[in-house]
Amino acid sequence: MSSRILLVEDDERIRASMRLALEDEGYEVDESGSGETALERFGETAADVVLIDLMLPGMDGFETCRQLRRSSAVPVIMVTARTDTHDVVAGLEAGADDYVTKPFVAKELSARIRALLRRTRSVDDPDMLTFGDVEVRPDEGTVRRAGHEVHCTRTEFRLLCELAANPGKVLSREQLLDRVWGYDYFGDGRLVDVHIRRLRIKVEPDAANPRHILTVRGMGYKLAV
Amino acid sequence: MFASRHRLSDTVRLTEQAGAPWRPRRRRARLGLRARVTVTFGLGALALSATMAGLTYFTARQFVLNERQSAILRQAYVNASLARTTLRSASPDITQLLDSLDTVPGSRSVLELKGQWYATSISVGEHAIPLSLRQLVLTGTPATQHFALANTPQLAVGVPIPSVDAAYFEVFSLDELSRTLRILALALAGAALVTTVAGAVIGRWASGRVLRPLAQVSKTAETIAAGSRDVRLVADDDRELSALASSFNRMTDALQERIAHEERFTSDVSHELRSPLTTLATSLEVLESHRDEMTERTGHALDLLAAELRRFQHMVDDLMEISRVDTGSAELLLDEVDVGELARQAATAGGAAGVPVEVDPKVAGARLQVDKRRIERVVANLVANAAQHAGGVTRIGVEPSDGGVRLVVADRGPGVAPAERERVFERFYRGQAAGQRGATNGTGLGLSLVAEHVRLHGGRVWVEGDDSGGTVDGGRGAENRFVVELPVLAAATASPDDSDDPDSAAGCARGAMPPAVPATVRDEVTDGNEDGHDGAPADGDDPSGHQSARRPAKR
Repeated sequence: MSSRILLVEDDERIRASMRLALEDEGYEVDESGSGETALERFGETAADVVLIDLMLPGMDGFETCRQLRRSSAVPVIMVTARTDTHDVVAGLEAGADDYVTKPFVAKELSARIRALLRRTRSVDDPDMLTFGDVEVRPDEGTVRRAGHEVHCTRTEFRLLCELAANPGKVLSREQLLDRVWGYDYFGDGRLVDVHIRRLRIKVEPDAANPRHILTVRGMGYKLAV
Repeated sequence: MFASRHRLSDTVRLTEQAGAPWRPRRRRARLGLRARVTVTFGLGALALSATMAGLTYFTARQFVLNERQSAILRQAYVNASLARTTLRSASPDITQLLDSLDTVPGSRSVLELKGQWYATSISVGEHAIPLSLRQLVLTGTPATQHFALANTPQLAVGVPIPSVDAAYFEVFSLDELSRTLRILALALAGAALVTTVAGAVIGRWASGRVLRPLAQVSKTAETIAAGSRDVRLVADDDRELSALASSFNRMTDALQERIAHEERFTSDVSHELRSPLTTLATSLEVLESHRDEMTERTGHALDLLAAELRRFQHMVDDLMEISRVDTGSAELLLDEVDVGELARQAATAGGAAGVPVEVDPKVAGARLQVDKRRIERVVANLVANAAQHAGGVTRIGVEPSDGGVRLVVADRGPGVAPAERERVFERFYRGQAAGQRGATNGTGLGLSLVAEHVRLHGGRVWVEGDDSGGTVDGGRGAENRFVVELPVLAAATASPDDSDDPDSAAGCARGAMPPAVPATVRDEVTDGNEDGHDGAPADGDDPSGHQSARRPAKR
C-alpha cells in the first residue's frame, strides 16, 4: 500500500506540480491550501507524512505544525524558503522532523519522505531500554518516565533509541544524522540539536541541567545512565 | 593636533573603502583645521603684542631720554654759568672750580680755558669729546652730541663761555639709562612671547571646542561605516550644533533607508523567484521522468530547458546568499572539524571526487572551526570555476601557513592574468576568457561568493600562478592555484571537553572561536536567542561549540 502525503501549500501551481512529482514517486497525495483546512483534512485522511509550507496565509506553518503535534506524532517535513534564517530552527522547534528548502528537487524530497517512513524498529533492538527513571520500549514505540507515558514524535523516539542503545558512548552529530535521518556528512547539525533539546524537555528532570542526555563538546552527545 | 590629523586620515581610509572619490594627498599636505586655527591665533597674538610692545618701548624710551636730556642740559648750563662766574674772578682756582661743580653720578666735567684743557676724570679729557662737538662749541655754538665711549653710550654737552674765552663740556654716561631700557625691552619681548603662546593655546582650546562635535561626527560616521547603521548623533543644546547633528542624522537615515531598500529588493526579488522556480523545477522533474516517451527533438528541448533552469536556480541561490551577506543576516554555523576530512568531504560534495587530496603532514589532524556548508560551497565553486575555465581541477591541497591552514585548489589551465587576479572575485566579473566559453553553468557570482564565505570565516582567498599569465607551454604550463587561508584553532582548545556541565563547555567554546569572529558577534547571537524566535542552540547545548553567528556585512 502506498503512503499518503498531506501537502499543505497555498500556491496552487506549486501544489499541482508537487502532486505530479510525488505521484510519480508512487505516493498518494492530499492537498490543502491553508493550515486550517489541513488540520481538518488530517483528521479525515490520516496521512503518513505531512509537508507544510511555512509561509501560509492565516495560520502559518509553525502554528499548523504545533496544532498538529498536539494530537499526532506523524512525521512532518517543513518547506521553507531559506536555509539560514530563524525559520529552520523555529520550524524544528514547532515540531517538524525535517525540512527542505525551496526550490527543491522532488527526488530529494521523496528521499527524505522515504527516510522518515523507513524508521521502523530494527529486529535486533532489545525489548526495553532504561536510564534513570525513563523506560524506552522499542517494541511498543513508547517512552515512560516515572511510570507516565511521554509522547514523542517518531524522530524523537528514534533519536532516543539510538542514544539509549549506546549508553555511555559518544555519538557524533554526523552519526546521529546518518542513523536517524539518513543524512550524509553535510547534513544540518541543527536537526540534531533541536531534537536533543526537545527530548531533554520531555525526559530530563531539569532540561537546563541535563543529567542523562549530555553534550560532549567537540564530539557529540552521549547518554549517561 | 595629532589627534585630529589621525582622525582625518582614518576618515580618508574609510571613504576610500566606500569607493567615494577623495584626494588624500592634497589633504595631507595641508595643516589640519585645528593646527591652522592655532597658528593663526598664535600669529595674531604675536603681531598684536609685538606692536604693543614696540609702541610702549619707543614711547617710554623717548620720554625717558627727553627727561634725562633736559635734566642734563639744565645741569650743564648751571655748571657753565658757575664756571663763568668763577673764571671772571681775578685768580680763579680751576681745580677747586671743577671740584665745586654740582654733578650727578656718571657725569664728568671738562673745561677749556684759553686752549688749555682741564678735566675731573682722567679717562674723560679733551680727546674723549668728539672732535665735531669740540669744534662747534669752540666756535661759539652750544651743542650736544651722543657718542659711545668704551662701548657705553654717552651724551656730551658743550657750552661756550665767550666772556672768559672758555668752553664748558660735560660728559654724561647713559649706561644706566640704556640698561634700564634694555630691561624694559626684554620685559616687553617676554610679555609679547607669553601673549603669543597664550594666543596659540586659546586658539587650540577654542578650535578644540568647536571641533569636538566634528570629532563626534567622525566617530559616529566610523561606527556607522563599521556596520552599526543604527548609531545616531545626539542633538546638542547648542543651536548650530543641533542643526549639524540633525542634518547628519537625516543624511544617515536617508542612506540607511536606501541601503535597506536595495538590500531588501535583491532579497525580495530572489524570494519571489522561488515560488515559480519551485513549480518549474518540480514540473521539469516530472517531464524528465517521462523522457523516454518523448521524441528526440522534444527530449533535446527538455534537456536545454533543464540545463538553463538549473543555472537559473543556482543564480537565484547565489543572489540570495549574496544578499544575506549584504544585509548582514548571514549566519555562520560553526563546527569543529578535522581539516583533512573537511577537504576530502568538500571535494566529494563539490563534484571533485576523483581528484587527489594532498594533506601536508604538518597540518594533518589540525582542527578548524568552520561552517561546513559554506566551505563546501567554496570548494565546489572553485572546482566549478576550474572546470569551466581551466579544463578541470588537478589536485586539492591542504598546506600549513602562518595565518592558519591553506586549502589549495589547483589546475593547469591558462591561468588568471596578474591584472585580473583581484577582479575575478568581483560580482559578475567577466574576464578575458569570457568570450571563449561555450555552454556554461556559471552564474557570475561563484568566485565572489567564495570571497564572501572565506571573509565570514576571517580568512583570505587569492590566486597564484605563473606571472606570464600561465600561458606558457600552450596553456598547459605552470600550476595555477586558488588559495583559501583559514584560521586554525589553538591546540589547547581543540581537545574535546568531557565536562558534563554545559556551562563549562560554553566557556570553552568561547575560547575556541576563530579570531576573525569578533566578540560582538556573540552578543548578537545572545540577542537572537533572547527574542525567543531564534532557537539556535546555546553554546553548551551543542557538541562542537556549534554556534550560530551573525556577522554584520562589511561593505
